[in-house]
This record gives sequence, structure tokens and C-alpha cells, in this order.
Amino acid sequence: MHIPDMVLDPKVAAATGAIGAAGLIYAVRKLERQHGERTTVLMGTMSAFVFAAQMVNFPVWPGVSGHLLGGVLSAVLLGPWAGAVVVAAVLIVQCFLFNDGGLTALGANFVNMGLIGSVGGYAIYAPLRRAISGPKGTLIGAMAAAWFSVLLASGAFAMELAASGRRGDFLRILSWMAMVHSLIGIGEALITGIVVRYVLLRRPDLLDPEAGPTTGAGRWGRTMLGGLAVALAIAIFLAPFASEFPDGLEFVGEHLGFLPAKTVAPALPSPMADYELKLPGFEQARVATAMAGLVGTLAVFGLALGMARVLPRAKRERTTLDAA
Amino acid sequence: MPPDGLERHRHASSPLHRLDARVKLLGAVALIVAVLALPVVAWRGFGAVGLLLAFLVGLSGIPPRELARRWLGMFVLVAFLVAMIAPAHPDRPQYGLAAVAVGILIKNGLALLTMIVLAGTTPFARLLVGMRKLGMPAVLVATLQFMERYRHVLIDEVDRMATARRARTFRRGGALSWSILGGLIGQLFLRTFERAERVHDAMIARGWDGTIPSDF
Repeated sequence: MHIPDMVLDPKVAAATGAIGAAGLIYAVRKLERQHGERTTVLMGTMSAFVFAAQMVNFPVWPGVSGHLLGGVLSAVLLGPWAGAVVVAAVLIVQCFLFNDGGLTALGANFVNMGLIGSVGGYAIYAPLRRAISGPKGTLIGAMAAAWFSVLLASGAFAMELAASGRRGDFLRILSWMAMVHSLIGIGEALITGIVVRYVLLRRPDLLDPEAGPTTGAGRWGRTMLGGLAVALAIAIFLAPFASEFPDGLEFVGEHLGFLPAKTVAPALPSPMADYELKLPGFEQARVATAMAGLVGTLAVFGLALGMARVLPRAKRERTTLDAA
Repeated sequence: MPPDGLERHRHASSPLHRLDARVKLLGAVALIVAVLALPVVAWRGFGAVGLLLAFLVGLSGIPPRELARRWLGMFVLVAFLVAMIAPAHPDRPQYGLAAVAVGILIKNGLALLTMIVLAGTTPFARLLVGMRKLGMPAVLVATLQFMERYRHVLIDEVDRMATARRARTFRRGGALSWSILGGLIGQLFLRTFERAERVHDAMIARGWDGTIPSDF
């Protein structure tokens, strides 16, 4: 998921770099106001925690293992902006120490995984937690947020890649990205869910909705943001079907200025322009992408419900123990 | 995550190791931006940057084996992405698919090499002090300093917990191992959170006011 150097166009790298830097400075300012001099210790140790947690390998298939990404987990445990700063710290160390992710793509990586992954993920988590009361809501919200945040990040990644190449290729890249990441997303949702459930069983006070970190946005603002994020994620899976109506997309593109106006036809008509979308297998990829989205969403909610069943019982045990 | 094989070389001594971190940081950024600015197919430019980097690698004493290992570690991902963007590259009609794909791979390799030389000749703590002096916000640098300190502590903690788990469960693999591994991470979070509180209290007791002096 880490974008390496030279894959992005210089303009895209510069734009995402500027957005990323602005977002990071805003996040740090917000945290300083919230935690004061405690910010450094909390963020520093929590970034180290995500780094160490990534060392734990989960067996996926013989020979293949995956690990936690941690954007939504840190947002759920510490709040959205803290989650973003934790992701930024992890990305900076990965870039400078392990050469994982390019220097010129640092901004794009932070936008995808920090701002969209962590803050966007929290925007999905917060309304779900409110809608479903109790620890169940926390768990289901966290798992759904983890799943959608991976998808949203991959959608942003696809957009950046497409903006670096020819625009018409966007849907093909998006299909592939969404397919690969719908699998990664289920893994992330499962790991996030297991960890959140563990914390809910051991120290529910750390995840208490009442004592949770307060954000500036009001309840409705957050619900709106969450709805927007979910709509975007669904759009990622439905977007490949939008190519049925390419004129609509081109119309929007021309008006927003990211597609050249039709009158400026290329001097050399490229024979590949429309061919790419009609490659054999694309039709299947498109259907498979939408299916992956549907099945994945249902699977994540099913898993979350199953895992949440143990929670209320555990809580009652705890209270009776406390009473006794 | 590849193991940090550069750790030994990072504290070696060479003219590049002794250079101010700020110079190296700005130099690396300048070189990578220059490579980014090159057209996708510019063999002479690639050759010039490659020669400069070969000289720097020789100067730094980083073994080529380590360079190759890191490059190969990234190659699969980069190749996958190149396969995705090369067919749609704006310069493809001009140079052809193969040249564009190879060009992006070479540019990426040059940038990666630059970052490996930077990482292999500069301890991370030095790099952070350099970033601070170059105007990076103090809170962010202090956070990274903390992270670098506790990263090693927590990875050791994970190792101990994993050993303890292996000592108690005689099974390996299977679906249940996910919940055990997840519990391990959950436990690590609780321990980290409590450790952060202890560390913070201890720092307050010693007069911590939220800043790390940057003049060391």
C-alpha cells in the first residue's frame, strides 16, 4: 500500500505533499490543545506500539501472512487526529529507515492512510458507535471502519495513480486496487476487531463512549461525514459500472478540468484509448470487484456481529464480580 | 517489514557518515527531486545520477549486497505498480511500452538508492535533529524521537510475549491462532498505554515541560 518514488507524477506528488503537510500540522496543533505536554509521550509510544504490532504476523495461507495496518485501530483507541499523527510517524520511520514508501510519495501515503484511512475511518466509526449502543457498537463500528478505510485508501491510491497517467485509465486501476484491497480490508477488519474486543473485555474504560476523545465536529457533522465516507466506498465498487456511461464521466471531467475538453482531440489518435477498457477479462474484473465489495461488506458485518456476541455477557460477569 | 540490516553500517565512520545530517537530508531531497524531474526515458541523465550514486555508495562503505537486498525487497511492489501505470503513461506513444516501464523502474531504483545511502550513513536520531534544525515542528520531532526510543523497547516486549505464548500453547496455525495473536496485540496495547503513563509521570517528576532540547 506504500507508494514508492517515481510512480506518481511530480504535480500529483507536490499536491498531495502540500495537503499532507497541512493536514499533519493541523492534527498536531489540535492534539497539543487537547493533551498539552502529554502529546509527545502518548503519540510517540503509540506509534512505537503500531510498529511493534506490525511485527506480529497473521497466517493467511501457507506461505502468506499479513499484518495489522493500524490506522483505524489507533483512531478508535486514541481519537481521529491522534490516529493520523501515529500513522504519519510510522510512515516517516518506514520511509527514512526502511525505505518502504518513497520520499516524494510521503505526502500521498499520509493522505491515503492517515487523513483518509484514520480520520475518514473514524468518521465511519463514530456514528456507528452511537447508533449501536454498548460495547457491541464499538466493536462493530471499529470493524466496519477498518474495512471501509482500507477501501477508501485504495480508492485514493487509484485516483493518484490515474492522475499520474492517462485519466481514462482510472476505472481499470480502480477495479484492480479495490479487488486486492477488499481482501486486505477483511484481514484488517478482523485484526482490528480482535484487538478492540480484547481491550473491551479487559479495560472497557479506555473505550468508553462517554469518556472518549471529543472532536470539534458535532454529532450531525460526524454522521454526515460517516455517511459520505460510506457512500464513497460504495462508489468505489460501483464506479467500474459507470463506464457504461462514459459520457457522464467525461462531462464532469471536462467541467472540473481534469479531462481535456473534447474539442482538443489528440493529434495522433491513440488506438489504445478505448481498447484498454475492452480488454478480455475486464468485464469479469468489473463484476468481481462489485461482488468483492458486496460479499466483503456482508462478511465484515457478519464477523463483527459474531464477535460481539461474547461482549454483553462478559460485561455482566464483570459487574456481578464487582458487586460481589 | 524487512529487518533493519543497515543498523551496523549506520554507526560506521566514513566521510559521508561525518557529514552534517542537514546537508545529507537536503542533498537526498535535491537528488530525488532531480530524478523526478527527468523525463521518463533519459538514459544519459540516469547514467549521470547512477555514477554519482555509485561514487557515494563507494564512499559510504555500504555493502552492495545490502543495497541489492533492499532493492529486491521493493521490486515486486514497484513492478506491479509499473505494470498498472506504464500502459497509460502519457509518453508511451513516444517511447514504447518497454522503454517507459524500464524508465520508471530505473528512476525508482535511483531514488531508492539515494534513500538507502541516506539511511545507511545517518543514525535516525541525527536525522531527527537535522529535521528539527531545518524547521520541522518541535512536537513532531519529539514524537518521532520518542517513537524511535520505544520502538525497540516494544519490539522486545512483543518478542517476550510471543515466546511466552509459544511456551504455553503447543499448537501452531489454525483459525484460533488469529484470536491468540490479536490478544497479543491487545495486551501489548494495554501494556504500552500503562507504560506511557508511567514514563510521563516520571518525566513530569524530572521537570519535563513538553520540549526536548534540540542542541545535542
